[in-house]
Amino acid sequence: MGASTESVAFDKPAREQAADTFAMWIFIGSEAMLFGAILLVFLIARISYGPAFAAASHHLSLPLGTLNTVVLITSSFSMALAHLFGNRGRWRASTWSLAATALLGLVFLGIKAAEYTMEFREGIAPVLGVPFTYDGPDPVHAEFFFGLYFAMASLHAVHLIGGIVVIAGMLVMWSSATQSSRLRRVRAIGLYWHFVDIVWVFLFPILYLINR
Amino acid sequence: MSDIRKLTFVYLVLLALLALTVGSSSFDLGGFNSALNLVIAAAKAAIIATMFMQLSSGGILPRLAVAATGLWLAILFGLTLIGR
Repeated sequence: MGASTESVAFDKPAREQAADTFAMWIFIGSEAMLFGAILLVFLIARISYGPAFAAASHHLSLPLGTLNTVVLITSSFSMALAHLFGNRGRWRASTWSLAATALLGLVFLGIKAAEYTMEFREGIAPVLGVPFTYDGPDPVHAEFFFGLYFAMASLHAVHLIGGIVVIAGMLVMWSSATQSSRLRRVRAIGLYWHFVDIVWVFLFPILYLINR
Repeated sequence: MSDIRKLTFVYLVLLALLALTVGSSSFDLGGFNSALNLVIAAAKAAIIATMFMQLSSGGILPRLAVAATGLWLAILFGLTLIGR
């Protein structure tokens, strides 16, 4: 193994970092295709059934959706700080920033769970065989809207859970990791976390803000 | 400390853009609400990518990956919407 590379495949740390970053961006690209496909389905449905989607969208909680967006943007800020502190060798601050990021991720999931609970109670959650009781116009296409909403929000939540688990794992193995490997991990999880934030940045307006 | 100040500024800009999106939704812009929302979302995504994900200073390879993603998404969206 080289003096400061982790893999024997690289002779210089700079090359290893470039390879790490490139791989993460390709992974993010593949994730963007996954979310892009479902966004496209939503876009076509939104064009086809505009009034039904707009009416259904008003049943989502705008205050909770907005609050969750603030929470997620804050978590991205905290992740960016973790990276910055790590770069400067301020590992204590970096650790706390990472922990705060994961904690904010959990807060996001908690608020999302509260929203889901409200929607299940209202009868507008057409998932898991729960009866769909919607009193607005065009219930057939409203059900399609809520189906897509649950699919997209849940796919996003699964990604967030993945991020939280990885951060937790990193923190568990923190003390046994070398500084360069810590920095490498923070860089990789940071890119992923910011991408999950970007996905929500698009999901929030298209789901919550249709003709408010 | 200037880097921390820069990140904080980016964070505040993102929150301001969020306030703008939510605020604009209470006005009827005659069909332009959705377009404005998407423009603001794209601006937020660009800010996160360049400032938090360091796309602007990360060399050519990450930008190549982003361009490839954009190309494939354009094919996905373009051909589907043309075929409607």
